[in-house]
Amino acid sequence: MEVTLLVHATDQAFEIIENARRQAVELLNSTVGLAAEEQRWLEEKRIRALFTGAQAVKTRRLNFLGTFFILFFVWCILSGHFDAFHLSLGVICCGLVAHMSHDLLFANVRFVDMRTIAKRFIAYIPWLLGQIILANIHVAGLALNPKMPIDPKIIRFKTKLESDVSWVTLANSITLTPGTITVDIKEGEFFVHALSKKVARDLLSGEMEDRVAHIYMEADHIYIQDVLDMAHIYGLFRGIGG
Amino acid sequence: MTRATDDVIIKTVSRIFTPFIQIFALYVIMHGHHSPGGGFQGGVILGASFILLVITQGLDRTRRRFSQKLGTIFCSVGLLIYSGIGILCLILGGNYLDYGKLNKILPVIAAEARSLGILGIEIGVGIGVMAVMYSIFSDIVTGGE
Repeated sequence: MEVTLLVHATDQAFEIIENARRQAVELLNSTVGLAAEEQRWLEEKRIRALFTGAQAVKTRRLNFLGTFFILFFVWCILSGHFDAFHLSLGVICCGLVAHMSHDLLFANVRFVDMRTIAKRFIAYIPWLLGQIILANIHVAGLALNPKMPIDPKIIRFKTKLESDVSWVTLANSITLTPGTITVDIKEGEFFVHALSKKVARDLLSGEMEDRVAHIYMEADHIYIQDVLDMAHIYGLFRGIGG
Repeated sequence: MTRATDDVIIKTVSRIFTPFIQIFALYVIMHGHHSPGGGFQGGVILGASFILLVITQGLDRTRRRFSQKLGTIFCSVGLLIYSGIGILCLILGGNYLDYGKLNKILPVIAAEARSLGILGIEIGVGIGVMAVMYSIFSDIVTGGE
């Protein structure tokens, strides 16, 4: 009799412990579930922000800072006074102008590394100067030749460049080179006045266009850059899926 | 003229150069008591930068950046700064625009107070002239409505 009672009590005790354990496991599970839910929600929010607002805000802040520092450099060159009073005036003025015009200086620039563009642009200038000197000699030869073997005509070609800054760089490079003048740009089509067959041939060979495309990482470069831009976002997606 | 120009070169180059024109205008205003230039010249350059924006980007986009109401307010603020400093000198016991008397409220000697007073006047004139230039131009462009 006592033994059966004891066994019964032990059974009951085991049952209670089992119940408690099950409840604890359920509780823990639901907590873990909630935490995972919360984390997924946060991740989703981060991704949504990446695609919409945050990117714009970040770009605006970068534009502001970039404009501010360039303008402050110009201010220091102009001013020549380096006491605290004039420098603080400069900070105020640069902040004011950067606030007014931060979207003007860097508008239509794709989200790429500005330092690379600056470096490549500086490397482009000596080549352009060399071309200008060569074309100068050619045009001087045409002008001094008694027969004047000129063949003026307007040539038009479709460019592979995409942004307005690169169009303007190419157009001004063409105009700076003697013998050729950019007349107009209409929807990516250049109208160029060329003085002789040689300069027209040089222009249509497209070397200048290739070099400008290289500066701004356009045309052939765009695919590589796009992959690099997307890699970060793709990594985020994979982190959630796995 | 109230429409944006359709020339890509003019549009882009003026867009890139506008911040530099504006910083040069502010430099001319702020160094008016050290070098040639001053409030009027700087104000005209600053106004011209906005007029350039109107010509190249169109009146609507420029109005979004710098509204007509803001122009009217700046006209009055410029005049208020100018006459305020002048009358402050009167109150402090000097003549109208007698900057030397400002050293009673500024913690500097009379000569420096004179320099700071002139700078204040330059800023007031610059703001006023810029706003008036812009208002006149936009009034002419829209036919005054």
